[in-house]
Amino acid sequence: MQLNEFQNQFKTLMLDHPKILESPAPDFAALFACRSEELPERLKIYRTNIVGSLSDVLSSTFPAVKKLVGEAFFETMARSFIFRSPPHAACLNIYGAGFDEFIKTYDPAKSLPYLADMARLEYALNQAYHAPDDTALDPQALRIADLENIQFAPRASAFLIQSDYALDALHAFCSDEAQTPPQIEQSTCLLVHRPELETQITPLSNDEFTLLQQLFDGASFGTAVENTLKDYPDFDLPAFLQKHLQLETFKDTP
Amino acid sequence: MKPQDTIVEATKPFPPAHVPLEPVGIGLRHPYYKEVLETDLNLGWLEVHPENYFGGGAHRHFLGKAREKFQISLHGVGLSLGSDQPVDEQHLRSFKELIELYQPFSISDHASWSASGNAHLNDLLPLPYTLETLDRLARNVTQAQEFFGRRILIENPSTYLAFAGNEMHEDEFMNRLAAMTGCGILLDLNNIYVQAHNHGYDAFSYIETIEKRHAGEMHLAGHTEQGDLLIDTHNRPVKNDVWDLYVAAVRRFGPVPTLIEWDQDFPTLEFLIGEADKARAILQRVQNEAQAHAAE
Repeated sequence: MQLNEFQNQFKTLMLDHPKILESPAPDFAALFACRSEELPERLKIYRTNIVGSLSDVLSSTFPAVKKLVGEAFFETMARSFIFRSPPHAACLNIYGAGFDEFIKTYDPAKSLPYLADMARLEYALNQAYHAPDDTALDPQALRIADLENIQFAPRASAFLIQSDYALDALHAFCSDEAQTPPQIEQSTCLLVHRPELETQITPLSNDEFTLLQQLFDGASFGTAVENTLKDYPDFDLPAFLQKHLQLETFKDTP
Repeated sequence: MKPQDTIVEATKPFPPAHVPLEPVGIGLRHPYYKEVLETDLNLGWLEVHPENYFGGGAHRHFLGKAREKFQISLHGVGLSLGSDQPVDEQHLRSFKELIELYQPFSISDHASWSASGNAHLNDLLPLPYTLETLDRLARNVTQAQEFFGRRILIENPSTYLAFAGNEMHEDEFMNRLAAMTGCGILLDLNNIYVQAHNHGYDAFSYIETIEKRHAGEMHLAGHTEQGDLLIDTHNRPVKNDVWDLYVAAVRRFGPVPTLIEWDQDFPTLEFLIGEADKARAILQRVQNEAQAHAAE
């Protein structure tokens, strides 16, 4: 068997139910020097390493999801995700993209409608934590230039999250920062970002979110403000600017 | 600290590296970040897995700080050089960015594979030692060396499966790879011990077979027994038998940079430094022996 075919078959065996390791195909089994009765145990060493290490990555990226469903449930769900969506790159800082979408389709989690949103929030926190370094927009720039000429682009670590549930309160509860379970039936808009080395979750008002969403999508400042004022005539632009310059939401543009 | 300061420090290129005069290093892992920066340590260098530093933020911040005190080695676990496909270009680009920023004295990865098609299995998987594998691995090592513009070291693996169709022994395979590509060999003495046990060959003759000119670095680590097999777990002290192999290797290859590896169930930094001290004592002893021998 050629190297390519061996690697392909090995991969398929690793990303499947452990039962299939017990009876590998004869031409595959014939590749190895060990006795055929030893082979399943040896393959299992690799499978345990692979699935175990990837499951560890998911459990450290999604601790709140894990807390909400418990360890055993999380393990089973993580394994199903790993088989369906193994990493596409060796850098595991980015592994777990799509876990939220997977959870939406995962039947045993149907009774927890906020679980997928929590996964989306935790993946954003993970992306923010590992985002490339960049510099924040210097408030000085606003004094010397017209606002229209400044590009309010998000820093690489800034992400917007909108949910029908009180995700920030639920996240704080899962991280043991809050004692009592929150009232979760309340929609939220959040900014996830990393001003320095630590990530933060900042709640946003609806008007603030509307403006940020347009700016994050690349709209010019003038158009984005105009659109926001249409829906929210009382929008307080100076307060918005002060808050987000202080939070270092925007990137310095050359 | 202002983020601006962080950025400047993290992206300022360091001066080109030289092989450290003090040959023993340890792996810099997350639990040791603070202590390594704040303590005065008798260590030559630190090793990190580059894949953990492809992003920005805290990890690069601490690596930049550590690099101000120590030489570093970038020891890859993700190039997947033994896959029957070209090396992932995005991975090469991210790796090279770290090389340019941190100027490591050594760059390495393994004689193993992890990726098949679009799936990356996150383990160092075994290769059959055939001419077909040698040709593919050599092409990928050459691709990486040309991309980096530098020589890399390739580490001998620990494996739990051997292939019926092997056309040569692992030691010969490693020698041939080095001769074909100009890469160096990173001799992991624990892996040699594990291989000797798991596949029934002689660890000391493995060391004697590896050509002196190829040895660029040595690794020492602990392993775990599981039934008839030894598993390369990197969560235990170095075993006495592996220290004995190290003595033989230092006699043969001289004082090449040596790493104490520990990747899970972390001990105190003090304990890890103790393991490094043991390695340093062996280097000293072998050097004294050689001097006494030369004086006779």
